[in-house]
Amino acid sequence: MTPARLSVNDVSVRFGGLMALEGVGLEVGDNQLLGFIGPNGAGKTTLMRVIMGIVQPVSGQVMLDGQDISKLNSVQRIHAGVALGQQIVKPLRAMSLLDNVALAFGGSKLLSPLRALSVRSRATEREAARAILSDVGLGAVTDKLPNEVPLGYLKRLEVARALALGPRLLLLDEPLAGLSKPEAGEMADLIAGLPRPGLSVVLIEHNLPQVLRVCPHLYVQANGRGLAFGPTDDVMAMPAVRKAYLGGEG
Amino acid sequence: MAYEIVVLTNMAISILFALSLNVITGFCGQVSLGHAAFLGIGAYTSAILSKAGVPLVVTFIPAMGMAALVGLVVGVASLRVRHDFLAITTMGVVFLFTGIVRKQDILGGEIGIAGIPAPEFGRIGLLVTALLCVLAYLLFVIRIRKSWAGFAFDSIAEDEDTARLLGIHVPRFKLFAFLVGTAGAGLAGALYAHQIRFIGPDSFGFVESISVLAMVIIGGIGSIWGVILSAALLSALPQFFQIIDDFKLLVYGLLLFGAMRFAPDGIDGLLKRLFRRAGGTR
Amino acid sequence: MLLIDLCIQGLIQGAIYALIALGLTLVYGLLRILHVAHAALFTLGGYVGVVVTNGSGSFLLALLTAMLIVGFVGMASYRVIYKPLLMRPPLIALIASIGVFIASEELFRLVFGAYGLSYTNPPLKGQVEILPGISLSHARILVVVLAVGLLSGMGWLAVHTRIGIAARATVVDPAMAASSGVNVETIRYASFFIGSAFAGAAGVMVSLLNNLVEPTMGAVPSYKALAIIVLGGLGSVRGALVASLALGVIEAFGTIYVGHILDRDSIAFAFLIMILMVRPQGLLARG
Repeated sequence: MTPARLSVNDVSVRFGGLMALEGVGLEVGDNQLLGFIGPNGAGKTTLMRVIMGIVQPVSGQVMLDGQDISKLNSVQRIHAGVALGQQIVKPLRAMSLLDNVALAFGGSKLLSPLRALSVRSRATEREAARAILSDVGLGAVTDKLPNEVPLGYLKRLEVARALALGPRLLLLDEPLAGLSKPEAGEMADLIAGLPRPGLSVVLIEHNLPQVLRVCPHLYVQANGRGLAFGPTDDVMAMPAVRKAYLGGEG
Repeated sequence: MAYEIVVLTNMAISILFALSLNVITGFCGQVSLGHAAFLGIGAYTSAILSKAGVPLVVTFIPAMGMAALVGLVVGVASLRVRHDFLAITTMGVVFLFTGIVRKQDILGGEIGIAGIPAPEFGRIGLLVTALLCVLAYLLFVIRIRKSWAGFAFDSIAEDEDTARLLGIHVPRFKLFAFLVGTAGAGLAGALYAHQIRFIGPDSFGFVESISVLAMVIIGGIGSIWGVILSAALLSALPQFFQIIDDFKLLVYGLLLFGAMRFAPDGIDGLLKRLFRRAGGTR
Repeated sequence: MLLIDLCIQGLIQGAIYALIALGLTLVYGLLRILHVAHAALFTLGGYVGVVVTNGSGSFLLALLTAMLIVGFVGMASYRVIYKPLLMRPPLIALIASIGVFIASEELFRLVFGAYGLSYTNPPLKGQVEILPGISLSHARILVVVLAVGLLSGMGWLAVHTRIGIAARATVVDPAMAASSGVNVETIRYASFFIGSAFAGAAGVMVSLLNNLVEPTMGAVPSYKALAIIVLGGLGSVRGALVASLALGVIEAFGTIYVGHILDRDSIAFAFLIMILMVRPQGLLARG
């Protein structure tokens, strides 16, 4: 049996005296799109940050393709194949959309200043960046600066940049937030098309209708605990999940 | 003629010094309020060695090495503290440097080191050497700017956390910037010691650190040509000011204030705005 | 007895630092700017103190005049230096501030002369034995009384008056405070007035202790005040006060025990760097 793409085992996180996460776990297979939902304050972003290595758990482990990556820092995890698209878009505003993505294609040049110094040409990376930008629908604005395009484009840029890192596991933190209804639909379609053999996607989202539409599997978290995990229809049929959503916020 | 040579040599040293800070503050975005300490480390290292009979050009290597070694330590500190905390830490470095020098008899204490031997190749030779050093360093920083190192620095200068998420090993790049920048200051210091031929703790204090930072900011943070231009202008300024020598610092201070108030993006920004207006586009 | 003596000397020095650092902390809390030109206000206080005392014979009048004048000049400094630069990166305001400071040192030299001024008839010279074997001059005692009085007065204002509460709210969240009707500009002017007036008082007291004011007297204590507010956690008033006293005492001991390898001024920065390496966010985080 091949190990899961991502497996999170029994992770707990403490902020001060508060348990932000308590013994949560989930698994993502290859070529999968997992929807990750939960009411506000469920600890979704915290779990993402644990997977990225930005937040250190007090216990538990994170495995990527059967390899324990718990001891790696976030930059090492990125180079091991985990990428994060952030909720709040953070484009580098001094460079074009194209260079924002091309930079992420830098690979080992980004790990060593001396290697970086020895390479001048950005041509291949820009070529690859152009291809990815047109995949996400930004082919016409590659040379614009981030301040010259609307938020919807920056959300796509965030996805493109994460893809450029060549991840095996892509985490997307609320990529639909702040988008209009039609924009959100398009973005969800885009995300639904991403998984392929060698790439799995975890989608954290508040936009429940879109998540239910595109995600075959769901993981639900509430109050820092895992609530449900499985095929979308089964999960949504569970009374505990319905209660969390009807009792909490919409 | 001799006077012009002195002015030009000073100018070359200032350009080298400003370019070196531009790597740390301009390229990598790490504010340093204590860069004169590294000028001082280079100057003292070179002065002591050349008084012991080592040829000037040979002293360049240990001068750069010592400055870079201490620069590496400050670089490691910069991994711990950020922004304003880093600014004040680097300010601390320059006070610490002068404070230590003042108490060391080998370094001449308060009095400093006098009688540094004249360079074996004369005044013109020193000017040529300084210009060659500037040229070599300039080529190196242009290489940084145009290569992937410059690309990575751009992202770190703007937003470290995002740079990290793009897979950039931020600490290594920061240390690299500190190494290159402080080594450049060390080299400028070695030249300075042999140009002035007398050094003391007061030559490498906080005001000197601010002066070089002003050169970088007035030139336009990160802009190589803007920084060269402003370093050349500001280093020649005292010569123009001789008539008003009494008001020198008054004028200098007001100039700093005025530049920040009316042209905060520096010469580089001024030129760009000018060209944009002339071009009529954007 | 040396230990107690050093502690007392250190605390007196710390009280002076606290008076200077308070203004810097207020400005940093409100504007996120390192206000180096604060040093010039401290020096101005010293000059006003000497000139008015020598002219009128009343030290009290001089102290009050100095606080008032320096307070108003401080408000002007906000209007002229910082207000036009608020939308710029903080480094720009920092350099502008340093520029003004450098120019001001020269201005003092041109106006008052390079060699400084002294009190023709220094007041408060009497000594009091506060502990067996330890005497302090009236001037030193006044430093402590003044620091405690002014700082606790400000603490009272911050807790019990509308403007104090509004000021604290503005430090925590300027946008929120502005939207709930706080006039942020008034708060800024008031903070500059208070912070500068305190620095002016410190300037008068230092001029009295040294019986000398000179153009450069602001430089070192004010750089140290920058170190202090960073040490205290930038923007934390309580942190700055703790750091001021700690630094005063550490310097007093440092000059005796490590004075042969480090001069007094670099002891402060050695201490700063050591602390920051352990606690990069300063002694007390903002609060």
